[in-house]
Amino acid sequence: MSDAPDRDLLAAEYALGSLEGEERRDAERLLAADPAFARSVGAWQQRLTPLAAHVAPVAPPADLWRRIEAGITPATATIVPFRRRVRFWQATTVGALAVAASLAAFMVLRQPEQPRVAVLSPLAGGAPVLMALAERGGGLVVRPTASISVPTDKDLELWALPQGETRPRSLGVLPPSGRTLVAQLAPNTQLLVSLEPKGGSPTGQPTGPVLYGGWLTTIELPRG
Amino acid sequence: MSSRKREPMSATTSASKVDDTEVLLHRCAGGDRMAFRLLYDRWGDRLYGLALRITRQTAPAADATQDAFVQIWQQAHRFDPERGNPEAWLIGIVRYRALDIVRRQSREVPGYEPEEIEDEAPDALARLVSTAEGAALQRCLGELEHDRRRLVVMAFVDGLSHSELAERMRVPLGTVKSWIRRSLISLRGCLAS
Repeated sequence: MSDAPDRDLLAAEYALGSLEGEERRDAERLLAADPAFARSVGAWQQRLTPLAAHVAPVAPPADLWRRIEAGITPATATIVPFRRRVRFWQATTVGALAVAASLAAFMVLRQPEQPRVAVLSPLAGGAPVLMALAERGGGLVVRPTASISVPTDKDLELWALPQGETRPRSLGVLPPSGRTLVAQLAPNTQLLVSLEPKGGSPTGQPTGPVLYGGWLTTIELPRG
Repeated sequence: MSSRKREPMSATTSASKVDDTEVLLHRCAGGDRMAFRLLYDRWGDRLYGLALRITRQTAPAADATQDAFVQIWQQAHRFDPERGNPEAWLIGIVRYRALDIVRRQSREVPGYEPEEIEDEAPDALARLVSTAEGAALQRCLGELEHDRRRLVVMAFVDGLSHSELAERMRVPLGTVKSWIRRSLISLRGCLAS
């Protein structure tokens, strides 16, 4: 058998999915640059896709459709998707204020009403770990700005505590990768995250330590 | 938007289902959100199942499925039925997203033991051979030695990389790479015949 590079074979390995590291990056570069290579990958995809029959369908989480819908609102087509921005921030470790400012810039395009942003930091002090964006329509997007590790037998739970009140309201379990949900939140509200047993607090009030918190604040939007 | 006149629906269920998906994609390309919802209803469970199998955790699986559907909506106009069937296109999108996620962050799931694929499980096999392409692939996989066939199936289904496969099969990395390449060469020849 010849040792000459066989691009169709690289395309096959890419479609199979087993490539990693430099070989995978090579294939991705070729895929973007070489239409013949892209056709090879497509042809292998066709050949191998019947193997997907080995995998049983699984019902996705109930909020997935809402998240997808939020991702295809008309204005977002012309701007950088929110999630990619969050990743960008994670990668560049910008400060909380810069984060809030870029959120505001993002929202100018998407949502003409004044949005509110919360930067959630460890209550004990330290760098922000989560950001929340409250849209006027009631959408609340919570995304990590740092990697959060949660013990396997625990869940994070998100809470809203309006100013002057003492009992927070549960907004549900918060996956470490963040969540998009719908919540009507009073103007001055603090968001809190506590560590709870798997599935969330059994009592309706935080039972574990409150790890992170931050106030929702209105962002001043640039005019025009 | 001019919707071209379609061939009469084929009599078999699988063909008409694929055809429906093609129609839905065509409508998505024209900005029809109702069609997009129908596409999600039809494909959400399958694509999420595939993402979950590869990422092995619900949060990244949901992320991958979300990204895939947003991409499907945005790229629906680029789907070309002359180039292939919509099933391979849709499944390809979610698999590459899921693989992106797991290749970027090495999978560290404490205590996770992936289930073994029974590559002759009767219902999976029945689904696999229910289409002409699936039957041909199954026939050609049957020409491979058992271990090599398992490698190919595990790579596709579980999204395992060469080094993960080497670890799982307890064989050197170079051996895995060469087995996979030879298997793919054999499949290419067999499927072309």
